[in-house]
Formats: sequence, C-alpha cells, structure tokens
Amino acid sequence: MQKLGDFKLPNFFNYPPYFTLQPVKDTREKQIQLWKELILDYCRTQKIFIVEPENFPLFTNSGIERSLSHEAREVFLSALVSEGRAEWMDKGHRKCLVLWHRIQDWADLVLRFVKDNGLEDSVMTVEEIRSGIESRGTELYGIDRTVLMRALKLLEHKGKLAIFKGTSADDEGVKFSI
Amino acid sequence: MRRRPGIGGLQTAAAARDQYRLLGENVAKLKMDLMKEQLATFRSQLEDFARKHKNDIRKNPAFRSQFHEMCAKVGVDPLASNKGFWAELLGIGDFYYELGVQIVDICLATRPHNGGLINLEELCRLLNQRRKSAREAVTEDDCLRAISKLKVLGNGFEVISVGKRKLVRSVPTELNKDHNEILELAQANGFVTVEEVARRLSWSSGRATDALETLLDEGLAMIDDGHRDGKRRYWFPCVSSISSFVGNETL
Repeated sequence: MQKLGDFKLPNFFNYPPYFTLQPVKDTREKQIQLWKELILDYCRTQKIFIVEPENFPLFTNSGIERSLSHEAREVFLSALVSEGRAEWMDKGHRKCLVLWHRIQDWADLVLRFVKDNGLEDSVMTVEEIRSGIESRGTELYGIDRTVLMRALKLLEHKGKLAIFKGTSADDEGVKFSI
Repeated sequence: MRRRPGIGGLQTAAAARDQYRLLGENVAKLKMDLMKEQLATFRSQLEDFARKHKNDIRKNPAFRSQFHEMCAKVGVDPLASNKGFWAELLGIGDFYYELGVQIVDICLATRPHNGGLINLEELCRLLNQRRKSAREAVTEDDCLRAISKLKVLGNGFEVISVGKRKLVRSVPTELNKDHNEILELAQANGFVTVEEVARRLSWSSGRATDALETLLDEGLAMIDDGHRDGKRRYWFPCVSSISSFVGNETL
C-alpha cells in the first residue's frame, strides 16, 4: 500500500484513469465521489485546512507518473464547495478552505470542549482555544483561525458566548455563557 | 376363392386383441413396478448418500461440485426446487439463492466502477471476502451455478467468455465481436490504445475508435490521458482486479 506521509492511500489512487477527468457522466460521478472522499479524509487526518489546488501533494502520484490536470483539480474541489464541504477563498480559485467538519459541527465541538472542561462561565482567548493546554489532544487543537472564528461567531449568534476585542487581533477573547 | 370375413372371425380377432392388450398391460405394469422400485431404491440411496455426506457437501467446494456432476449425470437437479427432500436435507437451494442475492449485490455495488462487467475470478473473491463469517468457501463453479439460477429472473445476468477469462455481465449491454476482441486484447495490460487495437487486430483506426468509444459510453472503459507518450489509453476495470484499485469501501 502506497503512503503519503503516514496517510494510507486508497486503491483507486494507483489506477491511472482516475487521474484523467472522465467524459462519461456516470463514470465521472463515481470518480468525483471517490476524490471528494479522499480529499476530506486526507485533510482531516493531516489537519489541513487550506488547499492550494496547484500545489497539493495529493493531486500527484509519482508512483504511476500521473498528475491531475488543472481542470480536474478545480472540478473535484468545486464539487466539495457545492456540498458546503469547502469554500474558495479567492476569485482566482488559488486557495480553497476545506471543511471536513462543517462550521456547525465545529461549533458543536467547541461547546463540548467547553462543557468537558467546565468552562461554562469562563473567559478564554481565541489563541487559547486553538493551542492551549485544555485543547491539546482534542480536534480543536491547531484548528485554522478563520474556521474557529466562524464557529465562534455562529455560537455568538445563538447567544452561547460573546466575542470581545483586545488591543490587537491576536488577543480576541471569548466569554462563554452556556 | 377368398374367404369373406364372417362374424365368428371378427369375434376371434377381437378376443385375440383383448388378450394381447391385457398381456401388454401386464408387462407394462410389471416393468413400471420394477422401475418404480428401482427409482425408490435409487432415491433412498441418494438420500442416504446426501445425508451421510451432508457436511462435506456444504463445506467442501470440490466435493460439492462432484456431487452436482453426479446429480446431473442421473438427471437430478438438486437446485430445481426449494421444496422437497433436497432443500430439507441440505438447504442446498437456500445456499445458492443466498449466493445469488450476494452476487447481485456485488454486481450492483461495483457497477459504477466497472460498468456492469466483472471478472468471474474477482466476483468470486469479493464474494468470499463478504462471506468471511460464513463457514463455507465458495468456488467459481458455485458462482456459475448461482448465476444460472438468476436466469429465471430474466436475462439480466450472463456469463461471457472473453479469451481465457469469464466475465459476468449484469447490464443489458450487447457486446459484439469487436468489443469482445478488444476486451481480450486488454487483458494483457489492463488497457489498450487506438493504435494498438488497429495494429493487433488489423482494423482501420476508425473501426477501433468506434468500438472503444462505445465501450467508453457503456461505462466499461475509462480514459487515461496522463501517460507521457501522450497517447490516450483506454482502461478496462472489468479485466483488472478492481478491489486492488477501488477498495471494498463501496461494498
């Protein structure tokens, strides 16, 4: 089994035609499905939030000398975007934010994190949530700041917390009130 | 002078005919009884045999296939009906029905990948993988038997021979001779190019392209433009081992 870092690659990754966008509808749908699952799986296990389509190791298999075309990369990522599992970060589609958990799911993870640590009425900085001692070993550890802020804003909207600004962007704080 | 038939002659003839008929009936009855007796003996012997080797029949694929062969030779089809002593004795009907259902499942699950054409070998392997929990190993012979039983459901399933291999078709695609020859050619490397088809089969490249495009449309082929020689390759998942490429996550 071929590996990319410590990631175990699926078998189709070694079948050359999966690196050429298939012209027949049914075959193409199956192909897109497999790639979508692979991208999400890979990003989840490697904790990758931002994918640059033109510079993403998963899109090349040197073992069989195949690499996805520009068009194919765009198609697979756009398929994720249309399902709400990714978002283009710029008009030129040079960067893509991959949401292996939807924002709603991230928000739920934050809530569970708060409850597990008895922080229901506490104050934390955004940085602490991302890299503090409490979050070590949880899925929140190392979360992309943009994604975390989106989840926090969602919770703020629901009245579960209040975000307040510090003197710089680095020390935004959160007051939980769950 | 010729004697005209009198009433007495007619009666004698009728009586003789009756006698013959009676005699004939007796003989036929005797033969019939004898045959019935033989059949009963045979049946009980076969039952004895089946009962005695029940476990072997269920567990040992080679034995099972020999048993089927024997049954076929004496004109008994243990699969013909799910009722009767075979079913009660061996559950053998159920065994093949179960196999049939699993085969349909596998064919459907792999269809998006192989276009509804699957290698018998491959099918058998997936079947065994899936039945891991079940005790009995399943052979290609069993697969073929189960597939032949699926025929009663219509012409959905068919086994076709392409070169050395047997492929199981689960879509109503008609494969013509050209398509079969291409599939046979593709068995060597798993793929072909238009050029290769034209050269090896002495076809015009138009004919090769046509046939390949049809196979592509049917979902039996996938294109690969990524090789560095720049020539488009047509891959056939049905002749390569699919689970070594597309894992069993789909199953």
